[in-house]
Amino acid sequence: MIKIINLKKQFTKQTNNKKEKFFAVNDVSIEIKEGKIIGILGPNGAGKTTLLRMIGGILYPTSGSILYDDKTIKDNEIEIKKDMAYLSGNTKLYNTISPYELLKMTLEFYDYKKDYDKRIKEISKLLELDSFLYNRIENLSTGQTQRVGVARCLIHNPKYYILDEATSGLDIISSQIILDFIKDERKKNKGIIYSTHYMEEAENICDYVYLINHGKIIAEGTPTAIKEKTKTTNLRDSFFKIIGGEKYE
Amino acid sequence: MNKILLVLKKEIREIFRDKKSLSMMLVIPIIMPLLLIGLCYLFEIEQKENPEKEYNIGFNYQLDEIEKEIITNLNINSKNKNIKELYEKGDINAYIEKENNNYYINYDENNPESLKTMAKATSYLEQYKLYLQNNYLIDKNINPDEVINIIKISYNTLNKKNDNFYINYITSYAFLFIIMAITISATYPATDTTAGEKERGTLETLLTYPIKSKDIIIGKFLSVSLSSMVTGILSFILTTLAFIYISNNISLFKDLSIIPNIKQATITLLIIISYSLLISGLCISIASLSKSFKEAQSKLTPLTFISVFPGMITFLADIKTNFLISITPFINYIQIYNDINKNNYNYLYIISMFISTILLITIVLYIIIKQYKSEKVLFN
Repeated sequence: MIKIINLKKQFTKQTNNKKEKFFAVNDVSIEIKEGKIIGILGPNGAGKTTLLRMIGGILYPTSGSILYDDKTIKDNEIEIKKDMAYLSGNTKLYNTISPYELLKMTLEFYDYKKDYDKRIKEISKLLELDSFLYNRIENLSTGQTQRVGVARCLIHNPKYYILDEATSGLDIISSQIILDFIKDERKKNKGIIYSTHYMEEAENICDYVYLINHGKIIAEGTPTAIKEKTKTTNLRDSFFKIIGGEKYE
Repeated sequence: MNKILLVLKKEIREIFRDKKSLSMMLVIPIIMPLLLIGLCYLFEIEQKENPEKEYNIGFNYQLDEIEKEIITNLNINSKNKNIKELYEKGDINAYIEKENNNYYINYDENNPESLKTMAKATSYLEQYKLYLQNNYLIDKNINPDEVINIIKISYNTLNKKNDNFYINYITSYAFLFIIMAITISATYPATDTTAGEKERGTLETLLTYPIKSKDIIIGKFLSVSLSSMVTGILSFILTTLAFIYISNNISLFKDLSIIPNIKQATITLLIIISYSLLISGLCISIASLSKSFKEAQSKLTPLTFISVFPGMITFLADIKTNFLISITPFINYIQIYNDINKNNYNYLYIISMFISTILLITIVLYIIIKQYKSEKVLFN
């Protein structure tokens, strides 16, 4: 289980030649259990990416702690990262290499002990990469690239998935590939944290959601529980009811 | 160590698959020998006097038959009328006036053509004087050779073969070209592997892997260093081949030892490796602070000039190596190289150059590793 306790992240922004400090993530506590899809929902700029980057170990918290099966990243960075997979709209793939080379490189980075080729074949079959496995990534379509991105994530058989706006900007078919993959991994008892600003999407696949706004958790629970509590029919309305008509640019 | 090698493998693969990186790495070393050979041919053309060239000289007196024969042999055209006007018009480059037994050569010392013509005029008068001296002595029944060559003068040049102006010029500029090629070769991959990777969004992917940021940066540093070393070593090999061609085909360099011996070549290669490591570290350090590829490129452009400029100054100012120079980056490499080339080197200075480079590389690496832990650098 990944346990996030009172996590804060402070940044400095410059407006009108004045430096101003603000919390992108402010006192957030979350639990990610195996076999569950945890949704982090909120508008753009709510702090979702910062939170997930901290969970993924690529950004350091200002205060608070993250425990990965009771271990901290400070002392066990490599071991913890080996158990995780991070997929985001910001994590792009290397264009000059082929999916095969990318997957092999990934296995090497993760110190995968078994036969590389056998594992690549398994994943290639699962995600239907065979027809373009040896083509350069720069020559693949968006959907094919997305499948390669997913393959990169699951090739080392991680325990936890951190998925940040993974379907953002994708067409309906490419999005479905990701959503199917998430559901399949849940069945394999993997812990999944999934951030999105598509409320309907989250409603369909998440077991538990955290609504986040201005870096703070404003509501949490199962999608059904949140809807019942706010007396709404969907999470989008729930969100707006909780924030009380606050305007967004 | 294993992770560093994996990052290095990834980076090398990218460099070798990127046409721009490859061209930066290979084009300059290929062009350089051609430039050097061309430069040497220009020197030779400048040095070699055309035997057919004619010199126009004015005379305010009538030449006798002997004098006419001498000037014909010296390719001199004589003009006897209005010689001052002809000089003003540029039809002649010098003129000789005679008063009794005094000959006055009139020329312009600021005009190279006039200077060459003056030398021809002197040659004519020397030969004519010798003829008159011989005749006078023969009339007196004296063997002219016993008087005129009463003592014999011979010349021994004290100039060292390796301290020849042309050799110094060509070898110094060749090394400056190598330094420039290494800098350019380091600039592009350093930009691509840091700011470029940030811009393309692949840096975040790399950071999600179980690799320490220290290993990432050392891997990147080694890949850029390797790329610049390939350029440096290739440039040196091709330059040496160009020197072999020059010494075999261009007469001006035929008896001069322009080709480096084993010891000179080994130390030069070590200098190239040291410089490649230092410049790669500097390039990565500067480029990683940039938000975009373009910004990194504009920040790195001055480095190309900085790398070459001190070397040019040391060459033009003929500075002697001392301890301070041997530890001053950029100046030390070209200075030590020149010393080695002239076979006039001090091992202490060579060692201090290497030690100072190692220290600088360590500092630069420490700074880059620190930078790569900074969120500001990674995510802007």
